[in-house]
Order: sequence, then structure tokens, then C-alpha cells
Amino acid sequence: MPEPTPAPSDDLAAAVGGALAGVDLADARAVWRALGTKGITAALYPRAGTGPPQPDPRSLAVLLAELDARCPLGVTLSVCVQVATVLPLLAEPSGPADRARTGLLHGETVVALAVTDAAGSGSDLLDATTWAKLGEGSFTVDGHKQWITNATTCDAALVLVRHREPRHFTSFCWLLVPMSAPGVTVEPAGRAFAGSGVGHLKFDGVVLDNDALVGRPGRALAGFARQVGVERLAGALWARAMCRRLLADLRDWLRQRPAAGGTLWDRPAIRERYARCLVALHQLDALCTPLLDSTDAPAAAAGMLLKVTAAEAVDRITAEAVQLRGADAFRDGGEAALRTEAAMFGIAGGATGAMLAGIADHADELVGSRS
Amino acid sequence: MNNEFTEMLRPFLKFAGNGEISEESRLRDLGLDSMREIELLFAIEDTFGVAVPDDKLVDSTFATAGGLWDVVEELRAPVGGGTR
Repeated sequence: MPEPTPAPSDDLAAAVGGALAGVDLADARAVWRALGTKGITAALYPRAGTGPPQPDPRSLAVLLAELDARCPLGVTLSVCVQVATVLPLLAEPSGPADRARTGLLHGETVVALAVTDAAGSGSDLLDATTWAKLGEGSFTVDGHKQWITNATTCDAALVLVRHREPRHFTSFCWLLVPMSAPGVTVEPAGRAFAGSGVGHLKFDGVVLDNDALVGRPGRALAGFARQVGVERLAGALWARAMCRRLLADLRDWLRQRPAAGGTLWDRPAIRERYARCLVALHQLDALCTPLLDSTDAPAAAAGMLLKVTAAEAVDRITAEAVQLRGADAFRDGGEAALRTEAAMFGIAGGATGAMLAGIADHADELVGSRS
Repeated sequence: MNNEFTEMLRPFLKFAGNGEISEESRLRDLGLDSMREIELLFAIEDTFGVAVPDDKLVDSTFATAGGLWDVVEELRAPVGGGTR
């Protein structure tokens, strides 16, 4: 099946708007299908370059901003993880992974990324106990993955599994597990992140052919570590779009809200609080901008700096949006509900505390030598 | 071990300071954790232009500085001897 014709990148924002016209924006699968059939998803991946095709950062920024402006957080999350992480990890020359990747590009297939293990912290993957045991030309998978985006809506899951005993990064591999395989069960995680399909996956004696293996055994965590830089850039670009949107809406609201003969916008204390939000947004923007034209994934330290900065900017700006709007923030679809879900920027894909520990490990690189 | 290798190694060893890194140095004792080992793997492959094969992608490869250097040397000069 040929790949869909990419939409021109300079028209990407208009193309996304056109693709989503008439689509149920609360339905992640419908949004994904529309993006695929109109060539939006394929347009993210330039043909040139070596290694797995990576999303072009500028195109990614446009897509995420357009989705953020239209869709519930959970739907944008569903798309984000697939374009930033799943599609590049599935870059294989043939076999089930290649077929799944083609289906993803067309919007016909949804693949979940199943990393966080029920047996351990999501920030310390070495404790994962979801196992794949190699038999006669097959794998048998047992384990439990939690809080997996797209779990309840996917056709398959790309699952991080342990295939060796040592608590070491070389003890893991990726398996592409069809949801229809006997022994796979899924349980919705609740009402949070509506549209994301977040849920818990259980694998009970799931038998897979050897071609379910994606990439080289022992390289899964290394490949994921490299890809997570792209995921962190995507998260930061999404956070930047969300913060801009919230601050634009808040500015307009404050300028119209009557207060003592003027508006709330006239009050120095409120202007200072708003200005601190602008500082946070521009700190995030300053980290994102140099990466927009890069063809390489952000290095480890840069990715962690991005993630912490994005989480802190979202936290500050959503908090101020709620506090400054007051009761208005609790309207349906208001800032109070968004703030609750947006806390995931400091948790999903690496909690802020774990990121800070990693950043400290790079102190010499980040501080430099005394001049 | 050559100097290029030990100086490449040093930033990954948070407890090494400016002390000697010998062939017997146990990398985990010097502060190398498993997630930093991934970055070290990338650094080795980029610096020395090698690709660590699947059979060497095991925890024992990263146990000591000398053991890791042996793997690098083997990959750099598969038909000749290395220098230590």
C-alpha cells in the first residue's frame, strides 16, 4: 500500500483545519483517521535522512498547536504519542511492524505504547517485570502495563518487555502485540484524559510469533532513550501551544472583566502575575526554538531540561489562569479541569523529580568549566 | 586503555572526580548507573565509529573500564591486537 501523499508543510495548519472539519473532535480514532487519510500524518516525516524517520519539529509544532486549539487534551495526547514515539520506533523494513506503521500513516491503525509497568515506577523502567520468554520460534508474554494511552482504542500495543534477568538496560526488547491475541485484556483507567483511551493492559500467556520482535533484542531501552528526546520536544511544543492559548484567552478576559471603574487588567498585582506567566512561556520558547530546525533528536540533558521547563510553565500558567479567573475557571471545559489533566506534563514520560536527578548528572556539561 | 577512552568515560562517572581510572575500575562503583550506561553506549559508538553487537549488549560488558575497553578494541580492530 503506498504511503499517503503528504500535505505541503507551509499549508499544514490550514490542512489540519480542513482535515478535521466535520470530524468528532472528542473521538481520537476519528481524528487520527482524518489526519491519516488527508496525508497530514505522513507530512510530518521528511523522506531524507538516515535512521528511523523522525517528525519534522516545525510540522510537529503546527500539528500539536492546531490539535490543542480544537481537541480535548486526551485526544491530542493520543495523537502526540503516536507521531512522536510509536511511528519512529516501528520503522522496520518488513513484517508486522512495517505493516502497522503503514496503517498508522494512513490513519487506519492505532498503536499504543506500553512502557509503564504495573510492577514498578514509570520513572524507573529497570524494575519492569513484564516478561517475554523465548520458546520454539515464539515468545510468551506475561505481565501488566498501567496507564497506557490508547490502550482501550488500539489495534496493537508496542510493549516493552524484559527478556533477560539482570537489572540492566540491555535486558529489554520491544514486541508488537495485537490486541486480538488470546490472553490480552484491557481495562479502562477511568474518566481522566477523556478521548485518550488510557487504560491498563494485561498479558496472560500471550503467544506471539518471532516476527513480533521490533528492533534488536537488548536495544529497546537504548532506542527508547534516544526516541524519548523527540517525545520530550513534542511535549514541550504542545505545552508551549497550550500556554500561549491560555495566556491569550486570559489576557482578553482580564481586559474585559470590570473592576472598580476599570478592568482587572488595570491592576498592577494582576499584571505582575500575568507577566510572570509570560516569563515562563518565553523560557520554554527559548528552549524550543533552537530545536525547531534540528534534524537530530534532542540530547539527553536537553530533553530533560525541556521536560522540566514545560511542566513548570504549564503548572504556573494553568494555576494562574484558574486563580485569576476565579469561579469562571470552573465552567464546563474551563481552566480548572484542564489544570487537573495538564498536571500530566510533570508526570507522564518521566516525572519532574526523576528529570531533575538526571539533569544533576549532567552538571559538568551544563555548567561548563570555570573560565 | 588509551587516554581518549578514559576521558570520554570520566563524565559518566560521577564519583570518579579527577582520580585515576584503571582497567580494574568498577564502573558502577564510580557512579555509572544503567540509564547513564545508555548514554555511554551512544558516546562509544559515536566516538569510535563502532556498533556494539547484540552478543556484547549485556551487563557484564559495562562492569569494568578494562572490560569495556576490550570490547571497543575488539570492534575497532577485529583482525589485529589492540593496545592497552
